[in-house]
Amino acid sequence: MTMVQDMSNSPIPTPEESARPSLGELFRRRPELVSLTILIVLCIVVAAINPAFLQASSLIDMGRASVVTGLFALGVFAILAAGGIDVSFPAIAALTMYSATLFVINVWPTAPMALIVASTVIGGAGLGALNGWMVHTLKVPSLIVTVGTQYLFRGILLAFIGTVWLMELPAQMTAFGKAPLLEFNGVNDVIVTLPMYFLIFPAAAIVTWYMFNKTLMGRAIFATGGNADVAERLGYNQRIVHVFVFAFSGALAGLAGIIHVCANRMANPFDLVGTEIEVIAAVVLGGARITGGTGTVFGTITGVLLITVVNNSLVLVGIPSTWQRVVVGGFILLAAAFFVKRQKK
Amino acid sequence: MSHSDTSRPFLELRAIHKRFGGVHALQGVDMLIHPGEAYHLLGENGCGKSTVIKVISGVHAPSEGEIILDGTTFDSLSPIQALEAGIETVYQDLSLLPNLTVEENIALGQQLVSGNGRLMRGLNKKLLAETAAEAIRNVGLSPTRELMKSPTAELPLAIRQRVAIARAIASKARLVIMDEPTTSLTRKEVDALIELVAKLRASNVAVLFVTHKLEESYRIGGQVIVFRDGQCVAQGKIEDYSRADLSKLMTGREIEALRYRQGKPMDGEMIRIRDAGSGEAFFDVNFAVKKGEILGITGLSDSGRNELAMAMTGHLGLTHGSIEIEGKPTRIPSPAAAIALGIGYVPEDRLSEGLFIQKSILENEITLIFNKLTNRFGMINAGKGRREASRIAELMTVNTKDIDLPVGALSGGNQQKVLIGRWLSIEPRILVLHGPTVGVDVGSKDSIYRAVQAMAERGISLIIVSDDLPELLQNCDRILVMNRGEMVDELDAETADEKQIYRSMLASIREAAE
Repeated sequence: MTMVQDMSNSPIPTPEESARPSLGELFRRRPELVSLTILIVLCIVVAAINPAFLQASSLIDMGRASVVTGLFALGVFAILAAGGIDVSFPAIAALTMYSATLFVINVWPTAPMALIVASTVIGGAGLGALNGWMVHTLKVPSLIVTVGTQYLFRGILLAFIGTVWLMELPAQMTAFGKAPLLEFNGVNDVIVTLPMYFLIFPAAAIVTWYMFNKTLMGRAIFATGGNADVAERLGYNQRIVHVFVFAFSGALAGLAGIIHVCANRMANPFDLVGTEIEVIAAVVLGGARITGGTGTVFGTITGVLLITVVNNSLVLVGIPSTWQRVVVGGFILLAAAFFVKRQKK
Repeated sequence: MSHSDTSRPFLELRAIHKRFGGVHALQGVDMLIHPGEAYHLLGENGCGKSTVIKVISGVHAPSEGEIILDGTTFDSLSPIQALEAGIETVYQDLSLLPNLTVEENIALGQQLVSGNGRLMRGLNKKLLAETAAEAIRNVGLSPTRELMKSPTAELPLAIRQRVAIARAIASKARLVIMDEPTTSLTRKEVDALIELVAKLRASNVAVLFVTHKLEESYRIGGQVIVFRDGQCVAQGKIEDYSRADLSKLMTGREIEALRYRQGKPMDGEMIRIRDAGSGEAFFDVNFAVKKGEILGITGLSDSGRNELAMAMTGHLGLTHGSIEIEGKPTRIPSPAAAIALGIGYVPEDRLSEGLFIQKSILENEITLIFNKLTNRFGMINAGKGRREASRIAELMTVNTKDIDLPVGALSGGNQQKVLIGRWLSIEPRILVLHGPTVGVDVGSKDSIYRAVQAMAERGISLIIVSDDLPELLQNCDRILVMNRGEMVDELDAETADEKQIYRSMLASIREAAE
């Protein structure tokens, strides 16, 4: 057995390395920590320049703003993990949210809120499943398929369903958007509320985390993202994996869409589309490789928070909002530099 | 050694035919696999080896014939039937998922099969860890947390291969098929693999190797099965066949195990390495190569031979010493600089380092001469490129007339010919070949060696870095042996023998110096 010991000693990382991993090694293994570090530094700097950043009102604003991006991002993360990409989710969200709202206003004004949410989730899952089915059957890269369906879904929405802003929402939807979770007395005794729907983001994150870490499906998704041919050879049903991840992303998009409507108290069919790059940026900042097979839910949340903080706090320190994109772009390149270094190692 | 006498066969193939459209890939194959026996499936590329493996593992259904598995007769097997019966395949590419951990790679399959492929189920992490730890112990590694939680992409090849074998035996394997398992392993790693095979056989598991390496087959022992043109032309105890017998059976022609090297080095020194060293990889290396000389460099994989090859071709910087080309001191800071100096490099890993696998033979052959093929408007002269690529393909006896075929569609031997042939387009002064016939069948080896000799005749200096000792003895003028970063021996290839080389390769430095 001496030979065997020889073999296991030399090539595998030695115990010293594992006992005290260097900072570089840590970043390499957990790339989301790069974004977390940027996030923390950014928060400290902004708070130091303008303490208003730490007031309840601005924190709650950011919490609210993170929900829709966060739900989208969890869906995109699932698809990136499987080695695909999705740019159709905002179109799915817009189509489902607008159709559902229109239906409720015109046909069933007293529909229970739970049913409205369920309908957009199921509708989104169905549209997503269509994406997944096409990616699998046509053997076409998912970018092409979802660019196509983005136009298709959006075209259907604007051509057949409607282009009018729906300003008068039914009472139950408005109530859903307003129901408070926490209330604070802000500056000048203005009451700021963290709405109940904020909880949906952490809840969805927990569900996603559970799916990825505690079920065979989660491993099958990563397996597919790692090497789809090998995964198929080993018996992971690729059709199911593809349909599932896209349906999952679609369902989250439907959910995000209806929350967007309730939070803004209007349904605008031109909304949401155009946010896809920002969402993908958030997921990539969270450490998921665009080539698939990696990433974590924690990293995705970090990426979402980083994007949200940049979007909402730069104004507080006197940087004009037009500069947000420059900053986001800079962070993405910075993080990418780290990730490339990690791949070369 | 033989365990076959007492038991009934685990698997029997009777008169198996397989047709793919008009191609008759298997033409009535009979085969017997007994528990605990080792089998060596030999044959040239395209002889039906991989097809028969795929019939056994359930990937292909035979067109005719029957498969008798454990006494039950089948027309064909499904992949699930084969897996349930304990037929496991370790593919040449290992089929590991690069981003999943060792533990997951080994043991996820068990949970997948037990649930019939259903994915909407909880993952039993405890079972996963236990199954994986047991399997990893069975392949002679210790299941440290560090190892079990590492993604397989971060592990060295030899360990990855053990992980693939661990996966094969994690479920109750009864037949493990290994497709060219030793292709990229060093000698020490091969030894460990052979030891592992003995363990498998002792626990009554049959092992079927698909291989080109006769030397290892002799060491492992057991039965040989020789394929030619879709037929099984011989099966029997390996001791009963000589190398020459087997070569003849495989190719249907005599291949002389003689020296290919007939010519002599020419006058004039081409390259001299003086007191060279690079980090801790190698040091105090001195040698010179003449025009038209073929120099062999060998050693264990950690001897520094790989780094030396890389330093000569601009892939690695020297920290000490100097290089002179035709008497002029030269620096080789990058691969591009090496090419400009007329130094070519054929890397060991042709798939990931050398070839554009989805591109055609034509495009692969002319990559080095694009600038010569473009006119002053930057347009490529397609006809000239095509003539050049055809000339090279012919010189290298690439086994197809269709130079628009993607390189990925060729056999390993032909891919290697394309890769070596590329350098013919610039007529290099020096060509460094790293493992030129790794994973290449006997027939293709022959034509690669002939091409190498022809290059030397034209005055090109060749340096072959290899651990295939017969290859070095047959082709080189001199052989240098490296050991722990030092050049420890220099042998005349005409008179040296393998034993002598092994002694220097394996000796501790002090012994070798004495």
